[in-house]
Amino acid sequence: MAHEVDLESFKELERDIILRVLYRDQTVQSIEEERVRNLKTHLQHLRWKGAKSSSQEYKEKCCARCQQTLGLLLNRGAVCQGCSHRVCSECRVFLRKTHAWKCTVCFEDRNVKIKTGEWFFEERARKFPTAGRRETAGARLLQSYQRQSSKISVVPPTPPPLSESQCGGSPNRLQELGHFRGFNKSVENLFLSVTTQMRKLSKSQNDMTSEKHLLAMDPRQCMGHTERRSQSDTAVNVTSRKTSTPDILKAFHQEDPRHPPSPVLKQDTPPSSPTHSTVFSGGLRHGSLISVNSTCTEMGNFDNANVTGEIEFAIHYCVNSHSLEICIKTCKNLAYGEDKRRKCNPYVKTYLLPDRSSQGKRKTRVQKNTLDPTFEETLKYQVDPAQLATRRLQVSVWHLGTLARRVFLGEVILPLATWDFEGSAAQNARWYPLRAKAEKYEENIPQTNGELAVRAKLVLPVGPRMLQEAQEDQLALNGQLCLVVLGAKNLPVRSDGTLNSFVKGCLTLPDQQKLRVKSPVLKKQACPQWKHSFVFNGVSSSQLRQSTLELTVWDQAMFGMNDRLLGEAKLGSKGGAPGCTDSCSQSKLQWQKVLSSPNLWTDMTLILH
Amino acid sequence: MTDGDYDYLIKLLALGDSGVGKTTFLYRYTDNKFNPKFITTVGIDFREKRVVYDTQGADGSSGKAFKVHLQLWDTAGQERFRSLTTAFFRDAMGFLLMFDLTSQQSFLNVRNWMSQLQANAYCENPDIVLIGNKADLLDQREVNERQARELAEKYGIPYFETSAATGQNVEKSVETLLDLIMKRMEKCVEKTQVPDTVNGVNSGKVDGEKPAEKKCAC
Repeated sequence: MAHEVDLESFKELERDIILRVLYRDQTVQSIEEERVRNLKTHLQHLRWKGAKSSSQEYKEKCCARCQQTLGLLLNRGAVCQGCSHRVCSECRVFLRKTHAWKCTVCFEDRNVKIKTGEWFFEERARKFPTAGRRETAGARLLQSYQRQSSKISVVPPTPPPLSESQCGGSPNRLQELGHFRGFNKSVENLFLSVTTQMRKLSKSQNDMTSEKHLLAMDPRQCMGHTERRSQSDTAVNVTSRKTSTPDILKAFHQEDPRHPPSPVLKQDTPPSSPTHSTVFSGGLRHGSLISVNSTCTEMGNFDNANVTGEIEFAIHYCVNSHSLEICIKTCKNLAYGEDKRRKCNPYVKTYLLPDRSSQGKRKTRVQKNTLDPTFEETLKYQVDPAQLATRRLQVSVWHLGTLARRVFLGEVILPLATWDFEGSAAQNARWYPLRAKAEKYEENIPQTNGELAVRAKLVLPVGPRMLQEAQEDQLALNGQLCLVVLGAKNLPVRSDGTLNSFVKGCLTLPDQQKLRVKSPVLKKQACPQWKHSFVFNGVSSSQLRQSTLELTVWDQAMFGMNDRLLGEAKLGSKGGAPGCTDSCSQSKLQWQKVLSSPNLWTDMTLILH
Repeated sequence: MTDGDYDYLIKLLALGDSGVGKTTFLYRYTDNKFNPKFITTVGIDFREKRVVYDTQGADGSSGKAFKVHLQLWDTAGQERFRSLTTAFFRDAMGFLLMFDLTSQQSFLNVRNWMSQLQANAYCENPDIVLIGNKADLLDQREVNERQARELAEKYGIPYFETSAATGQNVEKSVETLLDLIMKRMEKCVEKTQVPDTVNGVNSGKVDGEKPAEKKCAC
């Protein structure tokens, strides 16, 4: 009861499979309930045979079961210790293992207890008193699910089974009432009778039937019992009256659990958002273990040359939330992680290349001892649509051995530039063959860590005299380089899609003198807009032609950890290396423009590497 | 199979790590077939089988035969279905605790499953049979028979080495569990009845027919 299982927490396909099993179990239980009703009806008939004899007043001494007359000297009968009735020798059943005996009704009562499983429910009620007596876990699950479904108004409620169970319950209670009148039973039967009386009060039609039973039984008691028996019956009645008061309290307690179900239903909405936050907090935990995970990742065992098997997953991009979702489903025909011991504890790990940091790592749980694992997990990345084309998805399968030893089992690398996210076919899962670790990656796509937008101007003083200006320029270096860092985009963000980013600038003069500047930190922004000015004083245009300006973008780490380098760009003479790409040559031309056009702003977009 | 013509409905439940062979074991017992492919169980499932149970007398003679309807519950060993499967522990009258003889880890987890049983079963000491499955894979065996038998003796439960592939000991292990349940069933009912000694003494008196026992009617 404390752990109420919620079928809503499972996937729809799994929920359907489980519900199908619960409906099959419901069929089995209904057949069993029918059988139990028949057994109890049969037992009631045996008791009624004994009740008929009490109506014949002229025969004072006769068997309580078969109505035969008991003799005065021979066949005087004996009193059954179970029911305190006098029975003849024909109506006794000797137990097999002992020499004790019971009358036929007591013996049949014992058999009915065995066959209906009453022994099991009595034992279980001792350990779980609050649980429904004959209720099964499947029935409880089904009821709670149907209750939730009726709230959602998807599946209509099913009143017929409830009414059937109520109709079935009443005859059982009446039979037990008669049973109680006939026998001296344990305290448990007192509770049963009290429960019967409680139900009797609520049902007027059954009251008439119960009263008839009581009237029918009273004459037999008056005739058959001695004075001591009558006193014990009176004591029993007193006990039942005392018991009724706690039962009323129990009724109130039973009403209390009915109120919690509605708060439980209200709590259906909050669990979804904690789950959502858990995904992000999991990413943060990854960040806090950068060094440990990096060490483990680098120490992965790649010696397994035997790469076999396939992996099934689906790729989906949610445009609204800029979320790339990889649904890892299953693998099959994997290689053994440990060949000698034939062990395989597989899990799946993904990266969005070229980002190989631990913050960009996603992985599933470990499935133990299987070459065909089922994961059914969704791994998510926060990526801008424009950046998807520059990324490659790496899906690799690993074996978790003893002492956190990892063995590579195969991988799949998919360039996302050619991936068709619009097509509906991409939504479905596909099988990909696992491949060994590639030695060299394709370098057709340039590796970039984003773009940096800057604005630059060289400020030179303008004097009235040409000659004096030339002389002053040679003597005093009073030129000025102004660089405004506007913003950046497509930076490699953290797992939660944010950054605490700042920019460092370093101007290296021809005499190896370094001028360093730094921008303020912008917190929790994926596309920061610093708009911060870097000013380098005391420089001339001739010096700048031989200088190098290096701009680096960093992600500030928290509490003493090292900042993470996101990307860098270089401007100047050294930046013009031979074999540079078009973007480098473009920035080189722009830099030349800054130097050749003093006192004019020049906008540049730098590619970060 | 859907008729109610039986004397007892007995519910058994198979539990153990994922991949030890619970589903294939039950499939071998109910249909006498072997499915080598591993399809992981989703949550919960059950199979049914009708068997005839012969009660044994004290002197060993054959007693009355009863029809028993077995409902064999199959649970998923994966962690994410744990809360669902443990809810069904309460309904089971007996348990088949299974591990894989080719997997030392599944044998070590038997202790964890025993703790789950004691917490969720219908009583503190339910009837359990320990089963080491995949006994036919001799070359891949990792669990020593002596280790497993010692663990079973520690818990006081029977131990069988079975193979769903060959059918070895499959029927025997389930019959042993059923026998334990039937005996417990009779014990539980006898306790709630009047003590036997009183009826026994009364029986002796009736046989003697002593005149001293005569009582006045009023």
